[in-house]
Amino acid sequence: MSSAPATNTDAAWLVGLLQAGDSFYPTGSYSHSFGLEPLVQEGVVRDRSTLRDFLFLSALPALRHSELPLAAHAWRVLGAENWSRIGELCVLSSALKTAREARAASENIGRQRAELAATLRAHPLAQEFLRRATTENWPHSSAISAGLEGRVLGAPLTAVLAGISYTTISSLLSAAMKILRLGQNASQSLLIEALAATPGIIAAAETTAFEDIGWFNPWLDIAAARHEAADSRMFIS
Amino acid sequence: MADFSGHLSLRAAVRAHGRTVLAAQSFRAPFHLSKPYWDADARTLVVQVVNPTAGILAGDRLESDIAVERGAALLVTTPSASRVFRMRDGSAASGQRFTVADGAWLEVLPEPLVPHRGSTFRQQTEVAVAPGGSLFYVDQLMPGRVAHGEAWSWSRLTLAIDVRLDGELVLRERFDQSGTALRDLAALAGSGPAACFANAVFITPGPSADWRPELAALHDDGLWLGVSALRRGGWSIKLVAPDAVRLRRALRDVRRILARYFPRLACEVRKL
Repeated sequence: MSSAPATNTDAAWLVGLLQAGDSFYPTGSYSHSFGLEPLVQEGVVRDRSTLRDFLFLSALPALRHSELPLAAHAWRVLGAENWSRIGELCVLSSALKTAREARAASENIGRQRAELAATLRAHPLAQEFLRRATTENWPHSSAISAGLEGRVLGAPLTAVLAGISYTTISSLLSAAMKILRLGQNASQSLLIEALAATPGIIAAAETTAFEDIGWFNPWLDIAAARHEAADSRMFIS
Repeated sequence: MADFSGHLSLRAAVRAHGRTVLAAQSFRAPFHLSKPYWDADARTLVVQVVNPTAGILAGDRLESDIAVERGAALLVTTPSASRVFRMRDGSAASGQRFTVADGAWLEVLPEPLVPHRGSTFRQQTEVAVAPGGSLFYVDQLMPGRVAHGEAWSWSRLTLAIDVRLDGELVLRERFDQSGTALRDLAALAGSGPAACFANAVFITPGPSADWRPELAALHDDGLWLGVSALRRGGWSIKLVAPDAVRLRRALRDVRRILARYFPRLACEVRKL
């Protein structure tokens, strides 16, 4: 029997993902509603029931068909350091967001996540990603940077996608509590319900082909476009 | 029933007299062309692409390749809606490729796609615009044969578009929703059981968007309309209307407003 202390490497990436997904982590995501505020302004999302519809009809499908497959592809090609493909994914992520605010939100959060990975962890992969993104003028993307974080932490793909799912849904619900009459328990119960759907979504996203990435909700895009010129707003997007 | 491998190839070029002509054309059923018409006021050649069969059927494979050369101006439209019929077996597919040169103008304005119950259809559109080229591309979708009480009941409908400007991807949209999912979204947004969609991509040189507030003001009373800048070089204009008549009127208004800034959008589409 060995007397060497056991090292649980799973715990290392797990705590890293918890940190990256925490609202305490300074990504700036707290200032975005990810399209929710525009839909509230249009009268589409009004209460818990319509918020639940929005979650299941729009937020989860967008995760399933866009953000999670982007992150999955990024995680894989970052592992192979296939830089030309990484550049293609960054451009694709930007091109998929037709509403300027949604694109800017992803770029700002993505840039911040990549810089944090490079500076706080001083990881060579993150530093090389930042160098290439700058020199080759790649647009940043929250999904690609989440894949990068996963690689920096040594986290397996499914865990990375689970982290993105949790962060996306909880950020949305956190924003909803500031806009709607929605209590803690009501939002937590929605979170539980939405998270129960994520294992299936993650499994499907892991096998989505590059050419099949993409999904859009025309009402969300229109509302986001109108939000750019809104007279008043609480969130950047 | 016969399967079609339809093919359409057009190349528009400008001649010494300043008019655009079809410098090259070839097509095979179910594609057919009506006689091109030169709109002297808008200085644009109008081409109607006709499908003389009833519509799109199982086994159809449609390929089109339309190029507009430097200085030429072309409007491509269809005389009627494209119905995608029920398919007990198999599927239909369409591949479209559009190429716009520097200084060229292309407007693509087909009538709506109408997917019937049990239809399976995939449309892949690739657009390449050179720097200095202009494009106004519109896709319209109806939920089905609404007058027959049939809506949102296709088996699978995939509409995908990639737009590249100077070789760089500036837009990808991929519509692959089930009818049920889209019907439920329409209900959530209050657009009703017969909601119709138009998705326009406007690539234009120059950053000016003086027209944007006027366009955005069309959003009202059941009509959803949003304009947002693409990552570079152009605009996404999306519309949702509660019915086909309202959508047609809104699109006409969009073209009318934009035509004050981009006169080629005043081109008469010559529909009855």
